[in-house]
Amino acid sequence: MYFWQLVVSGLSIGSLYALVSLGIVLLYRTSRVLNFAHGDMSMITTMVAYSLLTAAGFAFGPAAVLTLAVAFAAGAAFYFLVLRPVKEATLLGQIITTAGFSLVLSGLAVVVWSADTKVLPFPLSRAVVYNIAGLAVNQVALGSFLVAVVSVLGLYLLVQRTRFGLAMRAVSQNDVAARVLGIPVRRVFAVTWGVSATLGAIAGMLLAPVTLVSPSMMFDPFLKGFAGAVLGGLDSLPGAIVGSLVIGVVENLFGGYVSTSLRTTVAFVMIIAVLLVRPEGLFGHKFMRRV
Amino acid sequence: MQLIQKYEEEMALVRGWAGWIGVLLLAAGLLAAPWVLKGYQLYIANIIGIKIIVAIGLNLLVGYTGQISLGHVGFVAIGAYAATHFVTAFERSAAFQWVGGPFWVALLVGGAAAAVFGVLVGLPALRLEGPYLSIVTLGFGLAVQQILINWPAVSGGRIGMFVPTPKIGPWWLDSDRGLYFLVWTCVVLGSLVAFNLTRSHVGRAFVALRDSDIAAEVTGVNLRYYKTLAFAVSTFYAGLGGALEAYVVQYLEPTMFNLYESIYYLAMVVVGGLGTIPGSMFGATLLSFLQFGLSGAQEYLPVLYGAVVILVMTVEPLGLYGRWLKIKLWSKTWPL
Amino acid sequence: MRLAYRARIAMGLALVMAALLVLPAAAQERGITPTEIILGVSAPLSGPAAPWGATARGVEAYLAYINEQGGIHGRTLRFEIRDDGYQPARAVANVRELVERVGVFGIVGMIGSANAAAVRDYMFRNEVVWMTPAVESDPWIGNPNITYLFVTYPNYYQEAKILARYAVEELGLSRIAVFYQNDQYGSNGLRGVRDALAEMGMAPVAEVSYELTDADLSVHALRIAQAQADAVVMYATPNHGAMMAAALAQQNPRPQILSSFTLADPIMARLAGPAWDGVIVPSYFPYPGTDEKVDRVLQILVERNPELANMAFNALAGVTFVEPMLEGLRRAGPNLTKESFVAAMESIQNWDGELLRGVTFGPGRRQGINSIFLARMVNGVPEPLTDWIEYPVEF
Repeated sequence: MYFWQLVVSGLSIGSLYALVSLGIVLLYRTSRVLNFAHGDMSMITTMVAYSLLTAAGFAFGPAAVLTLAVAFAAGAAFYFLVLRPVKEATLLGQIITTAGFSLVLSGLAVVVWSADTKVLPFPLSRAVVYNIAGLAVNQVALGSFLVAVVSVLGLYLLVQRTRFGLAMRAVSQNDVAARVLGIPVRRVFAVTWGVSATLGAIAGMLLAPVTLVSPSMMFDPFLKGFAGAVLGGLDSLPGAIVGSLVIGVVENLFGGYVSTSLRTTVAFVMIIAVLLVRPEGLFGHKFMRRV
Repeated sequence: MQLIQKYEEEMALVRGWAGWIGVLLLAAGLLAAPWVLKGYQLYIANIIGIKIIVAIGLNLLVGYTGQISLGHVGFVAIGAYAATHFVTAFERSAAFQWVGGPFWVALLVGGAAAAVFGVLVGLPALRLEGPYLSIVTLGFGLAVQQILINWPAVSGGRIGMFVPTPKIGPWWLDSDRGLYFLVWTCVVLGSLVAFNLTRSHVGRAFVALRDSDIAAEVTGVNLRYYKTLAFAVSTFYAGLGGALEAYVVQYLEPTMFNLYESIYYLAMVVVGGLGTIPGSMFGATLLSFLQFGLSGAQEYLPVLYGAVVILVMTVEPLGLYGRWLKIKLWSKTWPL
Repeated sequence: MRLAYRARIAMGLALVMAALLVLPAAAQERGITPTEIILGVSAPLSGPAAPWGATARGVEAYLAYINEQGGIHGRTLRFEIRDDGYQPARAVANVRELVERVGVFGIVGMIGSANAAAVRDYMFRNEVVWMTPAVESDPWIGNPNITYLFVTYPNYYQEAKILARYAVEELGLSRIAVFYQNDQYGSNGLRGVRDALAEMGMAPVAEVSYELTDADLSVHALRIAQAQADAVVMYATPNHGAMMAAALAQQNPRPQILSSFTLADPIMARLAGPAWDGVIVPSYFPYPGTDEKVDRVLQILVERNPELANMAFNALAGVTFVEPMLEGLRRAGPNLTKESFVAAMESIQNWDGELLRGVTFGPGRRQGINSIFLARMVNGVPEPLTDWIEYPVEF
């Protein structure tokens, strides 16, 4: 019983890690940029949601929609305003630019919203606990799991079933060829940034009732999402989901049976072990290069 | 404008009389600094020196060899703790008195300890690429910190560990000035070694690996050997930096070695300019000065730091050194 | 290469001392001018510990108020804040800059065991006045160098013992679990509970640690549930304390939470909601909302820095760091020197401030307070359970 309870709570937090890691993977697939600002972008959008819900007095539904729109616009804007100008930089230069952006965002969060912990008014409650097959699952966990599943389905439809998704996949395979074929590569990049930031915003708002809202709320979920993405294979969307769920469960089982103080280490040791066997992650494509 | 006619001239460390004047000025500045700067400014200068050493090492790995490390602070930590344990063990024994005491030996011990772990982490690097390698190093950095936290016998736990005052030969380095000479001697030696390494066949092998490891292997560069060597050398610098940090701060605690620090080191290398030793010096100096010199900016400090990083990358994608090269070229082609 | 010798420093010190002896009146004390007293602190204003930066903001706001009242003996108080991002190396740079360049009379506060430890020797060597570093008490106990240190902050270890004893003796609970932050603060709490229980022939049924960066505490709560604890002693940040309280509230029967005084924070009722009801929490000054003087101070702070409304406990704690110092400065009179200040501080006996009650210093006594009281939260408002409970004075 204890075992299954640990597994269920691991899956519940893992599904939130998955949302974070999908944003990372989506961006990596398309532009090869590891976005270190992903966590802080989610955090800032969650702060925006907080302001909309409290100071501006919006209801949860409209506030959530508005937040997602803001996230999308901010993601695209970041691409156009910051990352486009540094396109001459090396890939590492672009990654460091995102790290710099992450510092700016976390600093701004303290300056604008102050460092205290906040509670995001959330329509679901952790105090309501359902009993499913003898396992206790609270309303927030259940709700966020469902939202995560819906978001993943939406993303799947976007990438696999729309013309735009086709363009994204084309760009991720070879952006020069895509450009030659008349695909508006810049717009694809911008929209990808927007979608990635939107996924991050969903993750942030769903994490809010679990971690509460503060400038450092996304530190751990971002690391775990990143780890899940690498474990699954950085260019595979299903891999990101599986990887994150595995991280959530393993972390909880280790915490539940051995020690709560070395959980992160164990998660990373597991990743390193997997990478030694499969250097491209569980679901990633093998590296193939033309010499 | 001076024409380069021989290969030796191209490879020379210092080129022409202008170069020598620059070097002399730099040397004079470094020698004068301990008498011009005040106590806490010297402390900051020492910290900057340490960051330069670590950044140069990281640049050898990232800039020259193309292997990303997101956990470099883990090696810094290993160097710091190894050196501190070494000096506390031998401080009162006669074992190292004939070479002037255990303190300078401990710098090498710190470097070597870090290098051993560097080689261990470098082994998976033979199979992994790009972001996959970065997660291994990131995991390593986080693991070192967590293990130190949970292993009080090594780290002193969260109580931390106080580092004895270094003494080399008859000199107690209990003043900022004494430490300044120790740190900056290491900076100078470390940069000279790095310069010489990068202009030797080793440096060429590193660059070949970075540009195309397959092509490098085909032309006879031993991939395994040079990738591992890059890790060993780079982490030796990190360990040396850690040992010096222990002496300068005189206190060690696991949270000093967190993920942010690793990212700061990487930012120094990239902002300074990948694949250039002076670049690492520029980057480390600028970014550490921001953190240590402008703490009066209070909560605006991270905003400022991040904005400077973005600004440098936007204005000069090759980093500060790229801009420096352009200025130099511009002055060389000055129509006089 | 010329390196400084110990002898050289000793000689330098001797010269300075001689100069002070020769020119007692003319020599100017660092940080004291005819119009100003300069104080400073290095605090985490950014990074993971940024919420505790509010202690420095609290001091800043309160000193602004004191200055509006005309300062102390005609001098205004200037307060310099530096950000250290919770990093010891940066804290050292900041404190040294404050002492060597700005020239502060004293340092007020310091957050984080590591930061305080990193600057400790420097502070002692340079004889800087140091008010209440917000850390555990062990570094001061039996330390001969604490002449210029004055502490009005409870001892985590003794507090944990009081909590454990209360749970067993007054509440009749026997299965005590500890939920603690894996650092110096948390481990002092853990040690206290262990020792108190051992004195009664018991042991904690579960010892569950968390890291400051942990985002999800479900597994921690499950471990406590698995151990069938009927009481949980908590050494955590408000954030993690609220998360754990919410998780424990799902359990049936719900364990009794006893928390460290650092959670005697009005914000807790908002963060944890009804899950915070019934929690037993100690305090070393009257809880905001239960005492007129405390409420007035909080109002003063919030008027000058509205952000502090959401960080009331931290801001007030900042005031408790500086409050005894202000009394000492008043008693020292207009001819202020470090020595007259220390003498004035040592004359403080059983003194009630706006926040602190019964502060006592003396020659050889630097621990200004040695009592806490317990309260139980009812609908977000604390109801006192006990009178002041004293613990031994140790330094």
